[in-house]
Amino acid sequence: MNLQINSEIAFTYLVARKKQTLVASLGVMFGISMYIFMNSLISGTNEYFEKMTLSSTPHIRLYKDHETSNSAMLDQSIGDSTVNLIVNPRLIKSDDRLINPVGLVQFIRSVSSVTAASPQVTATVICSNGTVQSNGVVSGIDIIEQDKMFDITSTMIAGSVKDLYINPNGIIIGSVMAHNLNINLEDDVTVTASNGSVKVLHVVGIFQTTIKNVDQTKCYSNVSVVQQLLKKDRGYITDIYINIKDHNEANVVASSIAKVTGYNVETWQSANEQAIAARTIRDTIANSVVVTILLVAGFGIYNILNMMIYEKIKEIAILKATGFAGQHVISIFIIQALLIGMIGVVAGLGFGWLVSKTVSMIYIGKGNLEYLPVSFYAKHYVQGSAFGILTAFFAGYIPAVRASDVDPVQIIRG
Amino acid sequence: MIELKATGINKSFYAPERFQVLNNISFEITRGEFISITGKSGCGKSTLLYILSTMDTDYEGTLELGGELVTGKGQRELAAFRNARLGFVFQFHYLLPDFTCLNNVMIPGLRLGKLSRKEVEHNAYEKLKLLGVGDQALKRASRISGGQQQRVAIARALINNPDIIMGDEPTGNLDTRNTEIVFEMLNKLSLEEQKTIITVTHDKDFASRSNRIIEMSDGAIINQQKR
Repeated sequence: MNLQINSEIAFTYLVARKKQTLVASLGVMFGISMYIFMNSLISGTNEYFEKMTLSSTPHIRLYKDHETSNSAMLDQSIGDSTVNLIVNPRLIKSDDRLINPVGLVQFIRSVSSVTAASPQVTATVICSNGTVQSNGVVSGIDIIEQDKMFDITSTMIAGSVKDLYINPNGIIIGSVMAHNLNINLEDDVTVTASNGSVKVLHVVGIFQTTIKNVDQTKCYSNVSVVQQLLKKDRGYITDIYINIKDHNEANVVASSIAKVTGYNVETWQSANEQAIAARTIRDTIANSVVVTILLVAGFGIYNILNMMIYEKIKEIAILKATGFAGQHVISIFIIQALLIGMIGVVAGLGFGWLVSKTVSMIYIGKGNLEYLPVSFYAKHYVQGSAFGILTAFFAGYIPAVRASDVDPVQIIRG
Repeated sequence: MIELKATGINKSFYAPERFQVLNNISFEITRGEFISITGKSGCGKSTLLYILSTMDTDYEGTLELGGELVTGKGQRELAAFRNARLGFVFQFHYLLPDFTCLNNVMIPGLRLGKLSRKEVEHNAYEKLKLLGVGDQALKRASRISGGQQQRVAIARALINNPDIIMGDEPTGNLDTRNTEIVFEMLNKLSLEEQKTIITVTHDKDFASRSNRIIEMSDGAIINQQKR
């Protein structure tokens, strides 16, 4: 099929109706640029919230749950000649320690997708300075490994995480607690655990996450300090925090670790379901806006081509009289629609980038958010182009078919 | 050699009520003839021409063009057939106003795709020169006079070297001088190049100078006058 002459006619029509072409292309342009902008903003926002979530939640948490009593022991002593049932089974209060934590951490670090594993032990405490008290939760951690996971360094407003590593009786506290207790760097704070044990710790750092609840209660100290507070031995570890390369793979990695170790796992998604729900809602809003805009752009092309076909009905008739078949007429108008689409796409890519860039420079300055979070991914630009061309194609197809149905005899005879 | 053979052509319109426009029309045209179909308005002469042109396929009877049966062919085949074998000139020029005269003439040639673009362009120039509008070639079709436009339209009809040229009142909109030019052109084509010319016309003078006049009345041929 000789496509060249069809595209030549399509092109001439486009150039001859510059204004209409421009208006139709503008429609596509706005569609594409909004697609790019919305997606960039939403994915930027999602990433921001994800980062926020992951700054306090590990990708995977390994811990031990209390177990419900089962009939395993009965089966062992009575044998399975009878059916052994326990009526009204209860939770067995067991120690929540992980057995052989050093070996566990070693094993977890040997898993290829794991980037960091940090053993934890946590105690609920009352921190006091003189007579002033404040509730807190002190996490006994390997600060270097924890910093790798949560980038505590970036939130430090005084001192440094390394000081905790050096000072075995050190503690890092949140900014709100520091303010409430009137404590500054290098001051001492008295920490009392629920079992009555007391320790005086040296403040080596103050952090500020801007999440008030965290800044008010969270404290970091070394593992041994918390073990002493809880009056436990050096092998007492209750949780292992694990970070992996791709946090979206958490569920897969978690279940394989759970299988091997036999302990319970919790992924960041299941620990933050409301965040996942919020993300779904944002995505839905963005997608409906984008689809609406693309639809409107599509109707723009449809309208203009329809008008053009109405105007050019005599020319279409004459083309058919001189040997253009229906398929040729269709291809003329589809090429025209695609050209409009392409002009719109090129302009839309530029404009979309410009809008995204401009918006990313809007200052917010609330919490730890300085500027509106906008991401720049080639993916969105490629998808935007594809949707633009697709919209143009379908918007052109219907009028093109209508044009191909023109009966030359009726038109020429008037 | 028989160029066109119509056998028992009947056609009726059904709206607003059944009305038979063509009533059992049969005739033959040999190659190189210059035929004028005349008759009063509404006698069915234009309807007949559009059936002969293959654009109207809604009729009974059979039509052979150049020894080939065209009745019953599909729309796509007919379009290709018209492109290669038929040329049309209408009462109104129907040029594409957004294109230059040269492009207008070239379009059916490029559609045919037998020759390269250069060759088609060359041929189109030749045709325009032949019709005395070579100097208008690069002007937009909407920017030249009516007589010139009609000559460009004839050049377009000739670009693929068709065997048959059909005209629906080709001079209906022209003054005497341009009518004369167009007639001379068509006459020359029939005489020198053995093209078969079939025109529908009201112009008695134009008709009387052609080879044969087919006179129609109420959907039937009432008289065929050979000169």
